[in-house]
Formats: sequence, C-alpha cells, structure tokens
Amino acid sequence: MFKELDPILHSQLRLAVMSLLISVKEAEFTFLKEKTNATAGNLSVQIQKLKDAGYIDVVKQFKDNYPQTTCKITQKGVEAFELYVKALREYINK
Amino acid sequence: MEDRELSQQESLLLIEQMIQAAKKEQKDDGTSWIVWGWMLFLASILTIANVHFGWYNTFFFWNLFGVASLIIFLYQASRFLFLKRPQKVRTYTNDLFGRLNAGFFISLILIIVGMNIGVPVTKGFPLLISLYAFWILIYGSALNFRPSIIGAYITWGFAIAAMFVKTFELVMVMHALGVLFGYIIPGHIAHKEFKELHRKEKRAQLV
Repeated sequence: MFKELDPILHSQLRLAVMSLLISVKEAEFTFLKEKTNATAGNLSVQIQKLKDAGYIDVVKQFKDNYPQTTCKITQKGVEAFELYVKALREYINK
Repeated sequence: MEDRELSQQESLLLIEQMIQAAKKEQKDDGTSWIVWGWMLFLASILTIANVHFGWYNTFFFWNLFGVASLIIFLYQASRFLFLKRPQKVRTYTNDLFGRLNAGFFISLILIIVGMNIGVPVTKGFPLLISLYAFWILIYGSALNFRPSIIGAYITWGFAIAAMFVKTFELVMVMHALGVLFGYIIPGHIAHKEFKELHRKEKRAQLV
C-alpha cells in the first residue's frame, strides 16, 4: 500500500521552492525566483499556496525603501517534505 | 519553471538539483583565508628577517600587520554600514560563522592583550596558532571541506611544536608554517574549487 503523494508538494515549482527552503534558514523572493527561473507572478501564486497550507512563513516588509519578501519553511513544512520524500522513495522502489 | 505535475523520478531529481543550488550559496571562495593567510605569513617571515638583521624593533611588522588589519576592518565595516547590500539568503552555516567569528576575535584580542601585559610572546603565539586551528577545524567541518580539516590538525601540530621551541624566531617559523597549511593552502584550494564550480554553472547555462 503506497502513500498518496502530497498534492501541495507534487508540483514542479512548489517542490522546487520547498527544496530550496529546506536547505537554508530563510530566503528572499528574488533568490527563489533566480534559482527556479520562474516568473514573478507564477512564483507569487505558488508561494501563497504553500503559505496557505502552513508549509512556509512569508514576511513582507520594506527595507531601505524597497519591498522585501522573505520566506522560511515551517516545522509543518519540514514534516510534509520529509513524508513526501519518503513516499517518493516507496514509489520508486516498488 | 512551470507549475506542472512531475513523475516520481523527476521529483527526486528536482529536489536534488534545488538542494545543490542552495548549497552553492554556502560555498566559500576562499578569499578571506588567502588574504589573512598571506598577511600573517608575511608578518611572520618579515619578523624573522627583522630579528635576524635588526632592522627595526622586534614587533615592527606585527604592528604594521595590526594597522593593516584595522584598515581592512574599517573598510569592511563601512561597506556593511553604507552599501547595505541586501542579503538574498540566510543559511544556518553563515549564521553560525557570524557568531563563531565574534568568539574567535574576542579570544584573539584576549591573547594579544595578554602578550602585551606579561604573557611571554613565545607562549602567546602558540596559543594564537592553536586558536587558528580551532577555527579552521570548525570551518572545515561545517562546510565538509577536507583541506581545512586536515590543515587544522597540521596547524595544531605546529602550535604544539611552537610551545616547546626555544627561540622567538623558531616560534615565528612555526607560526608561518601553521598559517601556510591552515590558511593559505586550503584557501587556494577553496578558491580553485569555487572558480571551477562557477565555470561548470556557466557551461550548464549555455547548454
């Protein structure tokens, strides 16, 4: 019996964002955009979905008169990511 | 990158690629090790020559090193305060290094002050070499950078040797060798690897 893959994570861009965030303490929106090569609009939508799922925290602020969006993975996000990887391995090894 | 569903294999590959991309942010280019390494090395070697030929007072080149360090510190502090380059990403390693740097410099200053108020320089410098080794080991372990881990143990070897040699010139030789194996060689290896990584990245972007 295989676990169902988390639909929130089983999408290219959202999974890329989560994989980046799991490796760092926190990252700016521009960093995520640069590493994923996504458009700003698409990335914003996917970040909002991850935030709504409680997988990431998003802090929007102004720094030196520039808007700055910082993302950080939550404990719930870490657990979901770990479960997702475990489920993936089970599928691949079946 | 689009928002599409992936196969299981594609998912694992993507995770691996993104983790590698994030890891690159933690890769050090070795510049600090090279700059500080050569400065410390030159100060040691010139001090040996100075003691031997009697050009100036014994610590002339160390005082010069102190002035140069102060200039570099002020330059870096002003860049940090006035340029305020936004930090795109914060890693656990960088945060750890920030705190350890503070601890390293406090201990360093304490030993230097100690040498100025009575601790014999022939005992103070071995303690400094030992402190370098400690910081090099933490750095190497945190970044899993083998040349620094090996360099740290070699540097400790020179710290122990420096503790038992009889003359100040020999202490300076141990200091120079410690810095060579702990700072300069790993620094140049890190720099080479960093450049290689960027070349690979550029090639991958062109393909």
